[in-house]
Amino acid sequence: MEIKKNKLGNFLVIDLPVRLDTSNYQELEKSLIGVIDQGEKDIVVNCSGLNYISSSGLRVFLIALKKLSSSGGRFHLCCLQDNIQEIFEIAGFTTIFTIFSTLEEAAK
Amino acid sequence: MAKKKLTISNRLDQLDVIAAVFESLADEWSIPMNVSLNLNLVLEELVTNIIFYGYDDTNEHMIDIELSLNGKMVHIKIEDDGKAFNPLLNNEPDTGLSLENRKIGGLGIHFVRKIMDDILYTRTGNKNILELTKSL
Repeated sequence: MEIKKNKLGNFLVIDLPVRLDTSNYQELEKSLIGVIDQGEKDIVVNCSGLNYISSSGLRVFLIALKKLSSSGGRFHLCCLQDNIQEIFEIAGFTTIFTIFSTLEEAAK
Repeated sequence: MAKKKLTISNRLDQLDVIAAVFESLADEWSIPMNVSLNLNLVLEELVTNIIFYGYDDTNEHMIDIELSLNGKMVHIKIEDDGKAFNPLLNNEPDTGLSLENRKIGGLGIHFVRKIMDDILYTRTGNKNILELTKSL
C-alpha cells in the first residue's frame, strides 16, 4: 500500500488508498501515528480515493484524533465518498471528527 | 436461488479472497456496490474476530462461508470450529460519547448488527454457526 504525504500550507496531507482494512491498517498506523509522534500538529487525511474501511482502519483515525486533540493539533478529514460517510455515521464518528467536503477547506 | 460457497483458513490474507468474492457478486447478483461493500465489511469483521480470538492453538483452521441470494434476501452463513462466541451477547459501544470518553475498539460487531437485518447464532458440537440476512 502506498501512502502519499505532501504539505499543503500548514497541513500535512495524507492520501489514503482505495481500501483500508485489517490486512493493511498497520501501515497507515505506523505512518500516521509516526508523524504525530514526530511533532506534526496539523493533518488532513484525504479520503477521496477510499471506498472501503473496516473497524481496523477507523481505529487508527480515532487514535490519531485523540493524540492530536490532546496536544492542541488539528486532525481534519476530507472528501468522504457516500458509503464511507454512511460507515462514519454508524460508528458515531461524524460527531467527533471534523469533516470537510473539499481538500482546500480542510487545509485552511 | 443463487449460491456461493467458500472455505478460507484462519489467516488475515484471506480477507483479500473475501473482497474479491464480493466484488464479483456485485456484478453477478446485481447487488448495488454500496451494499456489496457493506456485506464485505460484515464478513471482514466477523472473520477477523474468529481469527484473532477464536483459537487457543496456532494450527490451521478452516472457516466455511456460504452466501445466497433468494429474491431480494441475501443470506450469509459462517461456520467455524473456534471457541464458543455469540456476537449478539457483545456489549454495544456507546456511539454518542464525547471524544474523551470514546473507547478505541468494539465497532466491528456494532457494524454487523447495524448493517444486517437478522442474526441467528447457534452452537452445535464444536461449531459456531452464524446466520445473517439482509434484504436488498
